[in-house]
Amino acid sequence: MGKKQNIRNFCIIAHIDHGKSTLADRLMECTGQVSERDMEAQLLDSMDIERERGITIKLAPVRMFYKADDGEEYELNLIDTPGHVDFTYEVSRSLAACEGAILIVDATQGVEAQTLANVYLAIENNLEILPVINKIDLASARPEEAKKEIEEVIGLDASYAPLVSAKEGINIREVLEDVVKYFPAPGGDADAPLKALIFDSYYDNYKGVILFVRIMDGSVKAGDRIKTFRAEKIYDVVETGTFNPALTPKDGLSAGEVGYIAASIKSIQDVAVGDTVINADNPAAEPLPGYKKVQSVVFCGIYPLDGSKFNDLKDAIMKLQLNDASLIFEPDTSVALGFGFRCGFLGLLHMEIIQERIEREFGLDIITTAPSVSYKVIKTNGEELFVDNPSHLPPASEIERMEEPIVKADIYSPPDYLGQIMDLCREKRGTFLQMTYLDKSRVQLEYNLPLNEIIFDFFDSIKSRTRGYASFDYEIIGYKPSKLVKMDILLNGEVCDALSMIVHEDSAYTRGRTLCENLKDAIPRQLFEVPVQAAIGGKIIARETVKAMRKDVLAKCYGGDITRKKKLLEKQKEGKKRMRQIGNVEVPSEVFMQILKTNKD
Amino acid sequence: MAGIYVHIPFCKAKCRYCDFASFPDKITFAESYMACVYREMALRKDDLKDYEFDTLYIGGGTPSVVDESYIGMLVAAAKKNFNLKKDAEITIEINPGTISAGKIDLYEKCGINRYSVGLQTAIDSQLKELGRIHTLNEFITCAKLLKGRNFNADVMIGLKDQTADDVLKTIEVAAAFGASHISMYALTPEEGTPIYTDYLNGELPDSDEVAALYEAGVKKLKELGFNRYEVSNFAKKGRESRHNLNYWRRGEYIGFGVSASSCINNIRFTNTFDLDEYFKCILSGHLPIIDREEVDAEGQKEELIMLALRTSEGIPLEKYKRLFGSDFREEFAPAIKKMSEYVEFSENNFRIKDEYLFVQNSIIIEFLSV
Repeated sequence: MGKKQNIRNFCIIAHIDHGKSTLADRLMECTGQVSERDMEAQLLDSMDIERERGITIKLAPVRMFYKADDGEEYELNLIDTPGHVDFTYEVSRSLAACEGAILIVDATQGVEAQTLANVYLAIENNLEILPVINKIDLASARPEEAKKEIEEVIGLDASYAPLVSAKEGINIREVLEDVVKYFPAPGGDADAPLKALIFDSYYDNYKGVILFVRIMDGSVKAGDRIKTFRAEKIYDVVETGTFNPALTPKDGLSAGEVGYIAASIKSIQDVAVGDTVINADNPAAEPLPGYKKVQSVVFCGIYPLDGSKFNDLKDAIMKLQLNDASLIFEPDTSVALGFGFRCGFLGLLHMEIIQERIEREFGLDIITTAPSVSYKVIKTNGEELFVDNPSHLPPASEIERMEEPIVKADIYSPPDYLGQIMDLCREKRGTFLQMTYLDKSRVQLEYNLPLNEIIFDFFDSIKSRTRGYASFDYEIIGYKPSKLVKMDILLNGEVCDALSMIVHEDSAYTRGRTLCENLKDAIPRQLFEVPVQAAIGGKIIARETVKAMRKDVLAKCYGGDITRKKKLLEKQKEGKKRMRQIGNVEVPSEVFMQILKTNKD
Repeated sequence: MAGIYVHIPFCKAKCRYCDFASFPDKITFAESYMACVYREMALRKDDLKDYEFDTLYIGGGTPSVVDESYIGMLVAAAKKNFNLKKDAEITIEINPGTISAGKIDLYEKCGINRYSVGLQTAIDSQLKELGRIHTLNEFITCAKLLKGRNFNADVMIGLKDQTADDVLKTIEVAAAFGASHISMYALTPEEGTPIYTDYLNGELPDSDEVAALYEAGVKKLKELGFNRYEVSNFAKKGRESRHNLNYWRRGEYIGFGVSASSCINNIRFTNTFDLDEYFKCILSGHLPIIDREEVDAEGQKEELIMLALRTSEGIPLEKYKRLFGSDFREEFAPAIKKMSEYVEFSENNFRIKDEYLFVQNSIIIEFLSV
């Protein structure tokens, strides 16, 4: 067990693409943790999706040993953090497990909105921050400007910031030296009752739930009886260990250390991230601060493309939830889509990632309905409820008023795109708060925006309108009364519940028209004419028509070659399995996805 | 009912839409090929000795491109090896650009009593576009030679730049020069054919336009006294193609030559599409079969439904009960109900309504189990 003063626990904060995972890999390589040829591009991002998208979703800690210039050997625990706004709570938990944070700033891009959010989190957690200027090998690098921006925007002294290229391996050792020099050793009392912060967990098929912990006080070893502060169940510790980055058993963990605990825990629900592990026989009196229950922000329905695969989908979602307690779900049924689940997510990215993981890791084709937020409905009888599923909205006559979640959005952009951003925010019903020139090339815009406008295509729109220069971050600030209506889509006179959505009165007409146009193109022609209508209450606000099919006969059966025609028909029949019946209209399952994805910008 | 089909895989030139087994550059092999076909018949003789055949159909390719004496020997070989009925319908496909009075005489002498002429269109520029070797005038000459005889004219719809007037003119020409049967079918751009490029480039009429051409053609044919007995086939009274009806009624048939299909005793099989392979097999005394499939009861049902619903007579309900021991109305009650607007029962048959024959696929698949 290393001396506590020779331990450094730290994390890396960076905007997406600024090179966090690359730097982490270099640090591991430099400390001999892995040799270069063993590196499969970016080790910490272990999921396929993470590697492909170049983002980190799950935290993956690693322990390294570094012999510093002062001759001492140090144990460095790096806790990687997700860079995306959806995962702010997870970031805050992993920050709480550290004493220091490396702040990576891209020498070509400067400070970005998401970087800022995490820097402020780090400051709130009293972390020592070490700025590092990355990508200095690029021709467009402007390290001095990046430093100036750090000083002006964040207010940190960047004069000593190492200039590195994680990609090329330049000045990596300098970073390690600074980690040892500037980050404090962990505090805590090894003799006090156990207090360990759970900063992440995942489900292992053999060992049950693996808790990722930072020991704040006391110690824990195999055989100890533990419980979490907020749950009653007591578990026997089976194994403790560290991350190399694979799980490596180690006899006992004590104050200041970062590692894992396996205690045959069956359900990830019982051990929430942020909770405190204590010794059941010698319990600490107070939990660690900062625990909160995560709230779902974005909701959507997930259905199997092939209706008979409901149970497979159920298994997949349950397995994903074992590793991701922030995913919530409940069974749901839709007239159009059959049996499926209503799922809640931390944000849009989280939703996309879960959808992708279901498709890739479990090989299931799924249909997802339009994302929704949770609306507050105040009924005429005074009852108050939250509705995230348009089909659960009470009849209009019973609704006194509705409120929708509002976010405060920070947008950072070069001044050239101000007009486009302001136009977009106006279209999205935004309320302008203020504008600050950070320097001559960067402006910060603050807006209040309805979350329901952001979940559609805000990310894509802002990126396309600013050629990718603007960055954007948001936090939910509360609910606000709003003129919301439920818009239904009717196919041949029948409401298709899977396409219903809650929209603001003012955008209903445009959105209804776009949706009808998209549907007209996406629905294959039937034997009869199919009117496609958007309606609010009983009032039709848009209409398109799918014309009746006039020809589908195949060529004549020449020379008695029937097999080929039979196969064609069978294939066509097979295709019908992927169709959903809405009234007497057959709609291919893919249509539900296509029309939701179609972006009018 | 049972039929014999013989495939002659030679042509003067390959048409731009052609997806069939035909080898314009191998016509020099015609003599050997025909010899092989006679031999293939001999190989089948014993298997089929209990069969009585009602029709013989010589298709291609362009059967009229090979020397007429081979055709004479072919018919003779068929008669020698099999029980071909006295009043059998014997059809040959001919290209108007390959015909002469002498040829027709010889065909007639050897027993051929029905002709199928590949007119396709009466518009010369469109014939050229299709890669056909003949002109309208050659069709007229050919039709005059066939005067008084039982002949079909093939008419294509869905051609590049084709108007409804073009289709009507084609039908009128065919009818005026004596065709008693007209096959009007839509061009199917098959992958790998030159015309597929036109299709990809959007140069061919879309399905709505084809439907309009079809409807115009159907109307004209009706006016001229042609009765639609199958979605693409129209005949004067009593001039229906017995050979093709046999296919649609799921009768038995034996095919000879490359790519020929057969269905005997609920076994479907297909000959090789490769000419060399065909020669090798026959010369070594083997049947050149590449595909063989036993059709189970379920498959037989599906085939019968899919084929019979192409025709205006539809599915004969008594025959269905006799064959499968079940009542069609009961067995398919949900599909019948779902499709009720598009189908009808007439006397003892179940059929697709006239106005929906051209969208039959969507209707038929409701009756397939898969």
